[in-house]
Amino acid sequence: MTSEEISGTGRGDGVVVVRDQAVVRVSGLRKEYGDTAALNGVSLEIGAGDAVAVMGPSGCGKSTLLNMIAGLDRPSAGSVHVHGEDLGRINETGLALFRRRRIGMIFQFFNLVDDLPAIDNVALAAQLTGTPARQARRRALELLDELGIADRRNVYPAALSGGERQRVAVARALMNRPALLLADEPTGALDSHAGEQVMDLLLDLNELGQTLLLVTHDQRLATRCASRLVTMADGRITGERTLERTA
Amino acid sequence: MSAVWRASRAAVRRRRLQTAVIGAVVLVSSMALVVALGLLDVVSGPFDRLFGQAHGAHVVATYDAAKVSAAQLDRTAHRPGVRASAGPFPQAVTAMPESAASQMPGMAPGPLTVVGRAEPGGAVDRLDLFAGHWATEPGQIVLALPDAPGMAGGPHSPIGKRIQLPGTAPLTVVGLASSVSGTAQAWVAPQQIAGLHPTTYQMLYRFDRAATARQISKDTEAVSAGLPSGSLVAHQSYLTLKAQVAAKPNAFVPFLLAFGILGLLVAILIVGNVVSGAVVSGFRHIGVLKSLGFTPRQVVAVYLVMVCVPATVGAVVGTALGGVVARPLLHQVFQGAQLGTVNVIPTVGPWVYATTVLGMPLAVVLAALIPALRAHRLSAARAISAGSAPHGRRGPAVQRWLTGVRLPRSVTLGLGLPFARPGRALLTVASVLLGVATVTFATGLSATMVAYGDAVEGSGKVQSIVWRGQTRFGETAPHHADAAAQALLRGLPHAADVAAVGFLDVRMPGRSEGVTIEGVRGGMSALPGDLARGRWTRGPGEVVASGRFLAEQGVRLGDSFTLSATGGRQERVTLVGEVLAGPQNWMRADWSTVTALTPHTQANQYWVQLTGGADVSAYMKAVRAADPGLYPTEKTTVNAGAVTVISSASALTLMLTLVSAMGVFNTVVLSARERQRDLGMLKSIGMTPRQVTVMMVVSMAGLGLVGGILGLPLGVTAYRVVVPMTEHAAQLTFPDRMLDVWHAGTMTLLVLAGVAIAALGAVIPARAAARQTIARVLRTE
Repeated sequence: MTSEEISGTGRGDGVVVVRDQAVVRVSGLRKEYGDTAALNGVSLEIGAGDAVAVMGPSGCGKSTLLNMIAGLDRPSAGSVHVHGEDLGRINETGLALFRRRRIGMIFQFFNLVDDLPAIDNVALAAQLTGTPARQARRRALELLDELGIADRRNVYPAALSGGERQRVAVARALMNRPALLLADEPTGALDSHAGEQVMDLLLDLNELGQTLLLVTHDQRLATRCASRLVTMADGRITGERTLERTA
Repeated sequence: MSAVWRASRAAVRRRRLQTAVIGAVVLVSSMALVVALGLLDVVSGPFDRLFGQAHGAHVVATYDAAKVSAAQLDRTAHRPGVRASAGPFPQAVTAMPESAASQMPGMAPGPLTVVGRAEPGGAVDRLDLFAGHWATEPGQIVLALPDAPGMAGGPHSPIGKRIQLPGTAPLTVVGLASSVSGTAQAWVAPQQIAGLHPTTYQMLYRFDRAATARQISKDTEAVSAGLPSGSLVAHQSYLTLKAQVAAKPNAFVPFLLAFGILGLLVAILIVGNVVSGAVVSGFRHIGVLKSLGFTPRQVVAVYLVMVCVPATVGAVVGTALGGVVARPLLHQVFQGAQLGTVNVIPTVGPWVYATTVLGMPLAVVLAALIPALRAHRLSAARAISAGSAPHGRRGPAVQRWLTGVRLPRSVTLGLGLPFARPGRALLTVASVLLGVATVTFATGLSATMVAYGDAVEGSGKVQSIVWRGQTRFGETAPHHADAAAQALLRGLPHAADVAAVGFLDVRMPGRSEGVTIEGVRGGMSALPGDLARGRWTRGPGEVVASGRFLAEQGVRLGDSFTLSATGGRQERVTLVGEVLAGPQNWMRADWSTVTALTPHTQANQYWVQLTGGADVSAYMKAVRAADPGLYPTEKTTVNAGAVTVISSASALTLMLTLVSAMGVFNTVVLSARERQRDLGMLKSIGMTPRQVTVMMVVSMAGLGLVGGILGLPLGVTAYRVVVPMTEHAAQLTFPDRMLDVWHAGTMTLLVLAGVAIAALGAVIPARAAARQTIARVLRTE
């Protein structure tokens, strides 16, 4: 599947859907930290609407791969194309604008701003693009409502449960209708119940057409939410297979 | 090596930047403190030392020889309270002829106070006979002159020269001496003084208690009690001499001390902020130390030692640099200062260096103690877990409000940041506040000093001073007589106005020393605009004088007194104005007042005001061409005292502004470190490096604005406190127009200086935060 094969776009509930397009194309990616190669010739392609899970032992390079795709770090060699843009050719400001437009990120430890209530944490992503506060809050409230935590909109992160915090983080990630949602151990800091809720949420999003890349240790998360599993070890992709989603 | 030392050393290594900030802040503060304390020390130090060594007279009393006998005065030596005395010495006031004065550097023509004294030593006023020998027989005289190079020997030395004083045989200069008490301008042997027709006796007293003017006044009354009424015609307290010596240096003390105090406060605030930040950001480190078995006291000791190392290094280097900086400043301040006829050489006492080297680290450690005690109280478990969970507090309402403000989100986020750490924000505001107060104070001081310098030097009024040549100095005599020369100068191209100026030495009744009148003829527009109070003279019988004259002579505006010229003419004059600068024995008067005292007085210089844009060099050439006996010079418009104040104030302001900016720098470094997770998240959702920089700079600029608004009145208050102290110390009065330095535009700029200081301190760490790699940060918990 290539960018020339775009057959159309559509809009789901708060999610931009781009079908039949290679959203991510990683080629011969290397990343070295001193003498250590965190990534050693990784190539990967993710199509629009795909849900890909990357698994592997700690230190295998899966988070490094995610950071490269998000434009948070730069490769030592190789290339990363996201939505047709070569990230290696974009400067820092360009990468920030790229993340704003194309990427939504979910982290293991949520990374919410402690001083802002849930709704303002979500609205923040839109406000950075210049969206007026009122408009940004309206959209944030819609998202919180869709994710079932609208009644917690004025609560500060410290008073939210783990699952609620991660839902706020997901809402924030979806705020600018990203082409690609990146999730780094999204259930790693949650109890099993909250983890289930987040898994359901991600599954729903993907079913609505949201392209998803998960980095996880959690086999259940991978098999529940992903349609493809990529395994890594020592900075290389060691396997790739299609998954049958479990209920 | 103890565990505390090892842990402290590791902490210093881990916080190189903050260690450097503490060291730099203490260094600059120490420099300012050494200069200020050094000046305080030398203001009184050299005087007290010289005065003590010479057994200077607490009071020099002059008695009318017609009303009191030597025997009566002799008995005053045994009055209660008198520790030692010398005299009575017969005293005559004669005139130093111009022909003799011109051969002796340091001597001026005019009234000359001569005392008959058998020896230079004695219980009081031990003279420093630095050249020749004492006058032991008739025909000899010893002159009171400062010990300057070439004075004791060589072609220009007065030794061996002869002086023809009125009504006596020529006297040979056999010695040169200095008196710390300034008791006479010349001494002769007792056998010689009768030939000079003495009319008064001089008594020199040292009292048991002489610390204040009141004590001296009481003691003087006590020694004179019982003597015939009116026999005490004049007396001079050593405190007056001390005030004269200290007048110039004292003018510098208040503002330098203000800078020293401001520097110390800034240093303490910044150190408190640094250590507080180190404790907060080092919670986990504190927990680890405690879990390893460090006692709470040892943990506190780790933090104090961590601060002590850079503070000690900063204090030592700052003190050494302060000594280097203070030396030229003190020499500038004391240039030409004399105690009697003894030169005053300023040296900073060792206590100044000791106080700074020991006091600054001590102040820093005390500043660090309060936040370090927080580490003392913190439990190990809480310390270790700190940072791994969201802090429990809610953001203040203002952050919520800022979310909806119609400004870029990076700006509103920045404005809200300080509210997350109100304590640190307050310390940062205080640091900027002191910086702005310093800038405000220095701006006001400089504006006043610029106005003062311009007024005193006649800036824009006089462009050239033309001297009449004198043959005794090997110069050509002018072809034009006095009035004709003035007319000639006024008639040359580009001359706007010309004032003729001449000097006349006169005496005031009851005063042993003479007074010089500066007579001005015509050219009123060429006079410097240095009137402080009252008005200029409008005709004969009116004079203006400096504040030092008023203080020295004990007169006030509106007072009238009689002046006596050498020829015997007398003129009653009224003091109608006070001018900014001038010696304590100088007045300015209309020419008619001068000619009333000495009819044939001639001007010896002309003050020339040129038309706007005129070429001074061309005018001077024209003067030389018109009369080779006229010697034009270009008038300097730079007042050395004002320049010294302005330059030292500017240097100290720059230093303290940098220190203040360092406080902001430190805050931003701490904030960026603590908020690296938030920064990483913001970048991950698309915040650009520029937006990160804007957010961090705005967070400090907001505090800078608050600091500016609060610092402005503090700076104005400091100005209003310090300037009157300077006026009092320097014995001058600034007119209101020189104190009117605060205008809306200036004050707006000064408030914005707070923003500038904050932005200056924030921009480098903000840019560093913007460039920080975030991938790792987002996973670190």
